[in-house]
Amino acid sequence: MKPVYIGRTAPCSAACPAGEDIPYIEYLASRGQFREALETILKENPFPSVCGHVCFHPCESACNRSHLDSALAINALERFVGCWSTREKMLPSIPTAPTNGRHVAVIGSGPSGLSAAYFFCRLGYRCDIYEAENEPGGLLRWGIPAYRLPMATLKHEIERIERLGAQIYCGRKVSTSFLETSRERYHAIFVGCGRAHPIRMQIAGDVQALDGLTFLKDIRNGNKGVFRGVTAVVGGGNTAIDVARTLVRLGSHPIILYRRRIQDMPAFRKEIVLAQQEGVDIRELTIPVRMDSDAQGITLRLQKMVTDGFETDSGRARVIPIREDPESLQVQQVFTAIGAEVENAWQQPDNGSFLQLSHCSLRNDGFPIAWGGDLVNQELSVSDAVASGKQAVMAIDSCFQEGWGSVKKRLEDCRVGQGSALSMESYLKNDLLRRRHPQIVGYHDINTAYFLPADRAEPVVDGPMERKASFSDYRSDFTTRSASNEAGRCFNCGICNDCDNCRLFCPETAVSVADTRRIDMDYCKGCGICVVECPRGVMTLEEAEHETGS
Amino acid sequence: MMNNPTQPDLIHPGHVACPGCGAAIAMKLALRVMGPKTMVVIPACCWGVIAGPYPQSSLKVPVLQTAFATAGAAAGGLRAALDMRGDAETVVMAWAGDGGTFDIGLQSLSGAVERNDNILYVCYDNEAYMNTGVQRSSSTPYGTRTTTTPGSGWKRSRKKNIVEILAAHRIAYAATASIAFPEDMMRKFEKARQMNRGSRFLHVYATCPTGWGIASDKSIHIARLAVQCNMFPLYEVENGMAYTLNYQGKEAVGAYLKAQRRFRHLSKDDIGHVQAMVDEDWDLLMQKVSR
Ligand SMILES: Cc1ncc(C[n+]2csc(CCOP(=O)(O)OP(=O)(O)O)c2C)c(N)n1
Ligand code: SF4
Ligand SMILES: [Mg+2]
Repeated sequence: MKPVYIGRTAPCSAACPAGEDIPYIEYLASRGQFREALETILKENPFPSVCGHVCFHPCESACNRSHLDSALAINALERFVGCWSTREKMLPSIPTAPTNGRHVAVIGSGPSGLSAAYFFCRLGYRCDIYEAENEPGGLLRWGIPAYRLPMATLKHEIERIERLGAQIYCGRKVSTSFLETSRERYHAIFVGCGRAHPIRMQIAGDVQALDGLTFLKDIRNGNKGVFRGVTAVVGGGNTAIDVARTLVRLGSHPIILYRRRIQDMPAFRKEIVLAQQEGVDIRELTIPVRMDSDAQGITLRLQKMVTDGFETDSGRARVIPIREDPESLQVQQVFTAIGAEVENAWQQPDNGSFLQLSHCSLRNDGFPIAWGGDLVNQELSVSDAVASGKQAVMAIDSCFQEGWGSVKKRLEDCRVGQGSALSMESYLKNDLLRRRHPQIVGYHDINTAYFLPADRAEPVVDGPMERKASFSDYRSDFTTRSASNEAGRCFNCGICNDCDNCRLFCPETAVSVADTRRIDMDYCKGCGICVVECPRGVMTLEEAEHETGS
Repeated sequence: MMNNPTQPDLIHPGHVACPGCGAAIAMKLALRVMGPKTMVVIPACCWGVIAGPYPQSSLKVPVLQTAFATAGAAAGGLRAALDMRGDAETVVMAWAGDGGTFDIGLQSLSGAVERNDNILYVCYDNEAYMNTGVQRSSSTPYGTRTTTTPGSGWKRSRKKNIVEILAAHRIAYAATASIAFPEDMMRKFEKARQMNRGSRFLHVYATCPTGWGIASDKSIHIARLAVQCNMFPLYEVENGMAYTLNYQGKEAVGAYLKAQRRFRHLSKDDIGHVQAMVDEDWDLLMQKVSR
């Protein structure tokens, strides 16, 4: 048997839609190398600060450290690294390929469009972004309230993308004819304009209801409406929560009406808890069936629902109405947040032959068009939007380089672990030294003798009374020291951090270090101590054949 | 000292120790601290073979191979010779197995440390006569099967407490160390090296995969368990009086015993008995530490 440095993939990286190299980022952060940490995030994700504020961090649920004490605070650390760079006015270096002479258009400057533009620019494309609104950012700009994502944070990261060369044209709503004429001006198009058309409740009197997203946008525009008394918010997603929490801050008492149970709500768990603390009421298993307005306000007729033990196609609990007289609820205003549809047919892949990937759909009749972001994604999150832009750029670039037939294979080679996350570093073949092995590090691969239990550091969150009083951010950042300490809890699953155990314990002195670690197979007896004593699952024993390096 | 990749180890690859040999790791760590100005005195034992027959050697420092019983005396003699040449810098390090220390070499060791000869005596303890095929020694713990305590005749007497014997000589420094705690171990070698006067004694736990019936990759793991369950406490004794504990073990002995073929026959009651002995030894040690 021979020991080999394979460098497995960390479970957090595989769970991150953007495929960030989290163990390496935390390794750098633990040493106070925040600039390098930021630059490592930026290799896979143009939005460290934004994601540090709003990401639903599936990485933390996958973290191996949770089996020892508690998961690493990956999200708060990402936020720290992003904000630290803003505070320090630090301009990270972002490697960019020389221009390749191709010119692409991106429709929509939301997270998926900006992500596509960022990666296009990095690969040497000239990129124009068309935005219908008068400012860029899409849902990040209009749909997420300021207490979750401060404007300055967003601006800072959009400017970074512009500095790479992306041209953003605001107030330029694109139509079908644009798609036709753009063939002459552009080499490819990414469509990421999101779903702008709100879904209505389809009940009597529903014209009285206000659209939740439109309301959020109004507030983001600076229109401080005053809402007194009780208001109703229909829906169970993040927009419903955002609308309700915004209403609380405007002086109203919102009640969320949701057709299923609270545990079925698609909104992020943390957000639901914060909303409830702030005084948002949630009535589960309830739908409005009619709206009547009079001088007092609006009277809602509410139908109670019950689960019938079956599941819907999407795997959620199915609900049916209870045979019981609807009750009434008197409110001042009703907001809907039950989703949105695409505005025009061209904003979705047509019936022609196209390639359906995990985060985008691609058509190529000699002119590649990719549809991404919320238009096609299963999970409507910012990090999935980032993943979408990245995947589309990789796919389009492979088309140009090696043809349509190569796309699937090229993308397959860039997977992080076994999920859908893709690595731009792998695509650029920059990771040859530390290539991420498809095998995931499990908790059993960690030698816990090397890790003492330690409390997870949490950023301070203001109490509900303080939160309700303003639209400013209610989470405070780590200090540089608490950030390094927290990052130091990371196992650094699957990556060599030069702990030197393999060399320290080798009874044969067969391990040497120059620029990489090497095992002299002329002398290795295959005892396997290095593999077992590697704290973080970097090594494995293989059938011996020839010499190896890390 | 710990993590210097540019410092070459003073042990050549290609020696003949078994795969995963804890004694080989012990020597490597020791020499990282002791450095090139060291002369090693080795009596008959596995390391006598690992170091190789003259003129070949797996060590990059001078080695004096001596008779089984004579490590203490030979080390004292070598020290005297160096002193006559005016070489006070070179440290003499006797390096003997448990057989050569606890049993046959005990009188020459006792003589050397009673004279307070300026030597560092290291016993690497693999708890039996391994080089000749796993015969029991007075270091072999209660409950062990060896080739001379086979089957139901497994060893019924306790392991001799060698550090206490050395402490009773009131030497300046006696301590235990384990290859699973390299930082602690190397610190102790550094302390012993710097003293460079009088007798110092280090009792180093050295796993033997071959003799104990464990997988070679578990060498460090088993050594760690021994400390964690207080089978092999890490402590130091200065001038035979001042005790310092270096690690507080909290585990029960069961996992340690069950992981090794040499103990596999032990019943629940036997394990309970081992635990009672370990607890008793621990209490005694704690009394000395808190004295
Ligand atoms: C006087 C004498 N008796 C017996 C031997 C044979 N012999 C050589 S090594 C050895 C065992 C040494 O055991 P230990 O000191 O514990 O070292 P280990 O081999 O276990 O490392 C024996 C019995 C000998 N060399 N000299
Ligand atoms: S310990 Fe670090 S590398 Fe491992 S899963 Fe958690 S965050 Fe990722
Ligand atoms: Mg022995």
